[in-house]
Amino acid sequence: MNMIDIPATKSTPEIVFSEKDKRLSITGESYPENTFEFFKPVFEWLQETLPSIDKLTLAVNISYMNSSSTKCMLDILDILGECAQQGCDVSVVWYYEADNGRALGIAEEFEEDVEIPFEIVSIAP
Amino acid sequence: MDNLLQLREDFSRRGILISFNGSLSNSIIEEIGNAIKRYLEDEQREKGIITDVFAVYVEQTQNMRNYVRKNEIDEEHRSSILVISTAEGHYKISSGNCIKKTNVPSLTSHLEQINSLDKDGLKQMYKEQRRKVRTPDMTSAGLGLIDIARRASSKISYQFDRLDDEYDFFSLTITIQGA
Repeated sequence: MNMIDIPATKSTPEIVFSEKDKRLSITGESYPENTFEFFKPVFEWLQETLPSIDKLTLAVNISYMNSSSTKCMLDILDILGECAQQGCDVSVVWYYEADNGRALGIAEEFEEDVEIPFEIVSIAP
Repeated sequence: MDNLLQLREDFSRRGILISFNGSLSNSIIEEIGNAIKRYLEDEQREKGIITDVFAVYVEQTQNMRNYVRKNEIDEEHRSSILVISTAEGHYKISSGNCIKKTNVPSLTSHLEQINSLDKDGLKQMYKEQRRKVRTPDMTSAGLGLIDIARRASSKISYQFDRLDDEYDFFSLTITIQGA
């Protein structure tokens, strides 16, 4: 299976897949200089990998993302949604810091726009 | 440098926390952004306010940088200015850059449309824009100014001033309550 393991920088999140847990984690801050270039390997990885696996959890823990990153995130969620329609067991766990109401609002707006299981979890700041 | 004292007094009078005047690079955007965030954290501002100020700053500076990169702006017109200030319970994030006159009408109508909407209208506009299919040559999702308006406490304030025959100077100021 193809692996994905992108280390974090100041303006880009860590993106890593755990084959054992079938969990794709996106962690950190996301405001890349060229957002679409940055997320391109993730789209490619999902397109290549999803047909060959029957389960995937996307775990998002992003304290800040710029507007073009939210576009890429929606595109990622759409790819997962298409996969779910074909019978794949996909779900999302979205973490936000309990004392950041703005972050909760962003999570809820994604939940409104997708039709896959979507769990919003508050974490201690 | 006998004007430095005067500049300092001017900065103090205007409540300026941070300012930058020059050519923006990605690392400058990161460094100034981190400095602002640390400052607001030290001042123990609410997390939501810190995120809003930081987010508006990032969208404004990345907009200016992308504009220069995409539109083959000549050397003389590449410099941008950014000022973050605080007064009477609010933060102001102001940015200014040179813009080709040919781009002014579409930007004006985009800003006018945004300023005509309330928070619910902006949410709808944001979601519709985010749903638009991305084409390979796109470098921006067209969401930046809508995101800025959603975080702002009042309407977006902007103006264009004439620079020369080809360029105007575009000033944009966003106010966020909670200083």
